[in-house]
Amino acid sequence: MRAKSSLASMGVDRMERQPLIRAEDVSFQYKGDLGEKVIPALNQIRLDIYPGEYVAIIGRNGSGKSTLSKHFNGILQPSRGDVWVDGWNTKEKSRLQEIRKKVGMVFQNPDNQIIATTVEDDVAFGLENIQVPPEEMDERIDAALRLAGLSSMRRRAPYHLSEGQKQRLAIAGVIAMRPACLVLDEATSRLDTYGRRELLRVIRRLNEGGMAIVTVTHHMSEAAEADRVIVLDEGSIVLQGPPREVFQKQAFLQERQLDVPAASRIAGMVHERCPSFRPDLIDSDEVAGEVRRLIGEGEK
Amino acid sequence: MTRFEWSRKITIGHYIPIDSIIHRLDSSCKLLGFTVLIVAIAFCNSYFGNVLFFTFALFLFVLSRLPIRYGLSGIKPAIPFMVILAVLQLLFYGGGVTASGTVYIHYSFLLITSDSVRLVVVSAMRFVEIILVSSVLTLSTPETELMHGMERLLKPLKYIRFPVHQFSLIIMIAVRFVPTFAMEMEKLMKAQASRGAAFGTGRWWQIIRRTKDMFPLMIPLFRSAMARADDLVLAMECRCFVPGQSRTTYRRGKARSRDFSFLLIIIGFSLFALFYPFPG
Amino acid sequence: MAAEPIIDVQHLEHTYMKGTPFVHQALTGVSITVYSGECVAIIGHTGSGKSTLVQHFNGLILPQKGKVIVDGADLSDKKTDMKGLRQKVGLVFQDPESQIFESLVGDEIAYGPFKMGWPIKDVRDAVKGAMEMAGLPFDAMKDRPTAALSGGQKRKVALAGVLALKPKILVLDEPTAGLDPRSGMELLGRLKTLNEQEHLTIVFISHHLEEVAYLADRIYVLDHGKNIGEGSPATLFSNKKMLEKYRIGTPETVDILYRLQDAGFSVNVAHYGIAEVASQICSILEHGPRRDRYDTV
Repeated sequence: MRAKSSLASMGVDRMERQPLIRAEDVSFQYKGDLGEKVIPALNQIRLDIYPGEYVAIIGRNGSGKSTLSKHFNGILQPSRGDVWVDGWNTKEKSRLQEIRKKVGMVFQNPDNQIIATTVEDDVAFGLENIQVPPEEMDERIDAALRLAGLSSMRRRAPYHLSEGQKQRLAIAGVIAMRPACLVLDEATSRLDTYGRRELLRVIRRLNEGGMAIVTVTHHMSEAAEADRVIVLDEGSIVLQGPPREVFQKQAFLQERQLDVPAASRIAGMVHERCPSFRPDLIDSDEVAGEVRRLIGEGEK
Repeated sequence: MTRFEWSRKITIGHYIPIDSIIHRLDSSCKLLGFTVLIVAIAFCNSYFGNVLFFTFALFLFVLSRLPIRYGLSGIKPAIPFMVILAVLQLLFYGGGVTASGTVYIHYSFLLITSDSVRLVVVSAMRFVEIILVSSVLTLSTPETELMHGMERLLKPLKYIRFPVHQFSLIIMIAVRFVPTFAMEMEKLMKAQASRGAAFGTGRWWQIIRRTKDMFPLMIPLFRSAMARADDLVLAMECRCFVPGQSRTTYRRGKARSRDFSFLLIIIGFSLFALFYPFPG
Repeated sequence: MAAEPIIDVQHLEHTYMKGTPFVHQALTGVSITVYSGECVAIIGHTGSGKSTLVQHFNGLILPQKGKVIVDGADLSDKKTDMKGLRQKVGLVFQDPESQIFESLVGDEIAYGPFKMGWPIKDVRDAVKGAMEMAGLPFDAMKDRPTAALSGGQKRKVALAGVLALKPKILVLDEPTAGLDPRSGMELLGRLKTLNEQEHLTIVFISHHLEEVAYLADRIYVLDHGKNIGEGSPATLFSNKKMLEKYRIGTPETVDILYRLQDAGFSVNVAHYGIAEVASQICSILEHGPRRDRYDTV
């Protein structure tokens, strides 16, 4: 099964590799209107993200998942603790540009992330900022647009794109800078089924090419695609592991107002009646495969 | 209902994507050339010169393969204004009679001479010519190209510490968000109209009421602009933007000999039409 | 369900920006009928003309070609009372919280009734009723500042702002888009109650098929400005070809059933509820495969 093998390889990798992002006892409090500190949004978070890893962060509204993701490239600095990106502390202001080159970020509303009046100019924006020589830009823009599936849109104006295409443009603008990690903060939440599917395809392709992905999402079927799912609640990590382990704890998740993918729920229900059916399935492909496996065994 | 659709007209701008010599010109040469042409037209006082400019403007339309009716449609809304202007000029020219001039009508304060007639005709022609010429420019050049053209033209200003790059970045973002806000405005108008709001009613003297009618549009629009600005700054920072730090530029001038010949032709033609001593 | 049409659209066409190089025909011939008390979903991918269609229902867009009859009023007729129509047909736009402009919840919801010129007492009753329907307790919420509300609450305020006009028909464009799943579910529950208990006719646009399956009695599928399919969620989800051809997508549970079908098991795609799918799988496991292929051999 797909995720199983990647899990095994990940275990080995983790021993050998240095983490790309390391959060050490990170706490964060938003300041109130009068400057007084109010609600703690994050509480002693310890987390490592490794090169090439695909991580999904889930949690109900206000669980701190968005706040956490904004620490990964120094948009927010921890109130206590440290975040290290490739060995650099995000508190070091002089390193911020290097850190942001390493860790790119895409947000929820694509309309507010597009700066330029044509697709190619928008992709060029980041390259201009990190002072890529102009003669190198064309090639980088080409590659980024190809990865995002927007090659034919190069000269279009952003307002002629669909929401899904706009969001892929936002991704192209980030990956042209060749980051080691892409953080997506609810980047699919405004897209329709088709737009989401296309976006996920792009993300998968980037991950296969070696880019680490951190996605903050409400969609459990999206989280099911990751190598590791991190569940946040009230600013703390309450559960983490491969999706098939996490999504088996349905009662635990429901207490925290989180659902599990429909496939996992169905697998759980079938398992109760037919114990030979595996309960730890995460997508429809696996459910159908499990039925085939059991029937095949019966026929032999 | 076209009442709510006005914004789409802004949204799309005017650029018509076809291919022609004019479309292919380098934007900074094009911008400079057209500016020269418009300035020359504005200073042209002779009948002959204006006929030449008018012909030239039509010629540009043909060259650019743009449908002439788009140029003419720009003139239509200006006609009432032009008529009023012509009447006023005719009645209140008051310039007296020059040596070469002829008096047509002189009745009490009313004095119509060949000079005042020329002024009327020439200003109407100039008006039409300028609309035609600037239509060719905007119809054949995408806004982005215009901006980059402008940026390149302004480049020398950086020696007097004018922040050319930041200035053009600001303009670019402004242009980028025009359609976004126009669509948002349309949506807000429709949404509030769905709740019974009626815009543009009430007499003109009911200024307070009419202003109050705009609150349901202006407040949400303002709020959304603030929210978008917050997001945009974040997105720009994430892409390593640091205000004032030096950047490279993707767009470089690609002016070729063809572009310079276009510029020279325009300058030469303008000088000729302006200064050649036409008879009359 | 009363079989009386409340919205009747026949061969409707609409073209944006006529007479410019940017003409765009958004509707190319839509015919749909909504019956009184029904809950109808309109689906179709981006650019299929859904939004343009629903904006005809309260006269924001008037028919260029074809007929739109809403509660007996012909919208092509210049004498149709627009204000009355907009009171009767409540239109909730996408992200409706963006239209909030008053600083207090109660004032915001009262905007519509005031614009209709209702007497103060009626306005107050309407606001109170609308707030209860939207799930906002009147006494606790009416004086709250709108700026301090959560996303889900803001959307309820916007919904109440439309309900305050006491519409007969409620039209919603992507009612749960951008909400977190819990607030979305709660809102859907409210809409279901409004439809079933208050007998409000509901038409909504959605790309979220789980939501369509939960709420809609009937679905219209739009593509390139035309309606190309109609039916109950069960019949439509059984039409695999259509789902694929028009890029509608499939709910995850339906997807499982299709995969089983592809593997040769006989399943009933019309029974796509989570528990139903689980029990279908159990019966395959318990009573043997019953493969179609197996049978034919």
